[in-house]
Amino acid sequence: MDTFVILLINGLADAALIFLMAAGLSIILGMMGILNFAHGTMFLWGGYTSVWVFARTGNFWLGLLAAVLVGGCMGLLFERLFIRPVYGRVTAQILITLGLMIVFTDLARVIWGATALPAFRPALLDGMTVIFGIRIVQYRLFLIGVGLAVAIGIHTLINRTRIGMVMRAGIQAPEMVRALGIDIVKYFSFVFAGGAALAALGGALYVPLVGSVWSGMGMDNQVLAFIVVVIGGMGSFVGTAMGSLVVGLMGALVSWFFPPAAVVVNVMLMALVLVFKPSGLFGWEGK
Amino acid sequence: MSRTQFQSLRLKVFGGTRLGGGSILALILVALVLLVMPQFVGIVVVTLFTRIFILSVFGMSYDLLRGYSGIINLGHALFFGGGTYIAGIAFANFGASPQMLLVAVVATVVYSMVAALLMGKIAFRGGSVVACAMITLALGEIVRHLAENWRSVTHGADGLTFPIPDFLRDRVSFYYYALVFMVVMMLVLRQFIQSPTGRVLMAIRENEQRAIFLGYNTATYKLVALQVAGIACGLSGVMFALSSRFANTDLLTVQQTLNALLVTIVGGTGTLYGAIVGTAFVQLAQFSLLGLRTLHPIFERWLLFFGAMYVLVVLFMPTGIVGLYYKMGALWAQRARRS
Repeated sequence: MDTFVILLINGLADAALIFLMAAGLSIILGMMGILNFAHGTMFLWGGYTSVWVFARTGNFWLGLLAAVLVGGCMGLLFERLFIRPVYGRVTAQILITLGLMIVFTDLARVIWGATALPAFRPALLDGMTVIFGIRIVQYRLFLIGVGLAVAIGIHTLINRTRIGMVMRAGIQAPEMVRALGIDIVKYFSFVFAGGAALAALGGALYVPLVGSVWSGMGMDNQVLAFIVVVIGGMGSFVGTAMGSLVVGLMGALVSWFFPPAAVVVNVMLMALVLVFKPSGLFGWEGK
Repeated sequence: MSRTQFQSLRLKVFGGTRLGGGSILALILVALVLLVMPQFVGIVVVTLFTRIFILSVFGMSYDLLRGYSGIINLGHALFFGGGTYIAGIAFANFGASPQMLLVAVVATVVYSMVAALLMGKIAFRGGSVVACAMITLALGEIVRHLAENWRSVTHGADGLTFPIPDFLRDRVSFYYYALVFMVVMMLVLRQFIQSPTGRVLMAIRENEQRAIFLGYNTATYKLVALQVAGIACGLSGVMFALSSRFANTDLLTVQQTLNALLVTIVGGTGTLYGAIVGTAFVQLAQFSLLGLRTLHPIFERWLLFFGAMYVLVVLFMPTGIVGLYYKMGALWAQRARRS
């Protein structure tokens, strides 16, 4: 029973982190049709920024804020300078974002070095909580809380606000939205920057969990986010949330009971979903 | 040789590409230079060009997918690294004999076919270019992780050093083997593209929906393209093993795939020989930049230049060097006609 609860908590915490990254990726993909390969780079920069600021100021929350700001600014910059010239050209978008991924991953290496840096948890969250006699890592509970809050926040944004209405319409019929006189490009910038900020937040929250930050972590987590988006269905927000849950919980279970399979199991899952429902669990057919 | 004979030969060798008499002359000149070059330059340059020949095949195999079939495969390195590792593991564990080279080649072909089959079956299910890119990236990363964790055989991230058969040890003669390898692979791939299957692939690239409506099972054709590209790529991996005598998991990273992607874009996609031009350009650029590192340490950060080149080429030179060459040629012809 203890093991089960701990695995559940671990899985949910991982799911929350994957979700932070995959949510932006999925919404950008659904609305703008852009597969952003530089998304993992935002995750990476978020991680490094938070560690750097935390080490300088001693304030963890300031580090998180800085990471979100850096991620958002990078997203805005990327969208304006590089994505906008290639709207509607799928291949060119993939190539451009790949190029940005390479440059900014290497820039991170230039600035912070090629070896891993240690990352610490804030004193407030660096401990165990005992609930019903089970010792649980506080930081993981915190992650679950953040994940839930962000999920509810995005859900409200999409379903209850005018911005969300345009976003939903943009996913289904971007031309129609434009025809109604709405400047959808402005919303594109907002979504891209928002997604980037979320990924950066994900990175900033990820590094204290694993205890270090290294330049390869962007790619590693991007692969997970891709798998989640494929499983959940491209551009579906609910699908992304569910996909994150499945991948997070599955990862926790497998790495406990049969560690060697941890790498392969996500891909097997993805392959299975694709065999039975090529559009993903929550994807629209033909989208 | 009469003029018509010459023209039919030209058509056979260069297919449908618009190569004028001047271009053929230039090509013969390049061939001559490449043939005599090893007699006049040092071993460093010979090795550099050997590398260009081998990586050109890697690039051409990628162009078959990206340029001719419209597939973006971000796990392509698993064929290249796979070939290198198969050869390396064979030589390291069972002795570096010519027979073992044969075994490695056959094993690489089988591995590439099986891997391409699995990859295609999964990646083409999603339907779109985007889904294919995401899924192949994930598959490539999985193979890299497997190679990194299977330490008893691959030695993980430390890399695997291995001997090679004696008759391939001489760098200068290996230069010629690599040159022949490149030319043969180019002709084979060219033949494939000229075949009816190749034509259908180009139709898929232009408009997959239409190809489906015409009654072609596009997934099967794409699978065939992936198989051919995978085998060509795996073989270039074996050649790479013979040239480098070392394998590590860098060969399986996305970065390695991106190398092939970059050379096809820089050279010009959908031209096959554009991959050769691109590989030569990128390798020579890397070589000269490394030569500048005494000036400033920034020149050691090859990836920064690599990525920047990527973005700039996509934004400003989407047709690559070969495309630029044709455009200049067309402009020139126009000007000549006007005067």
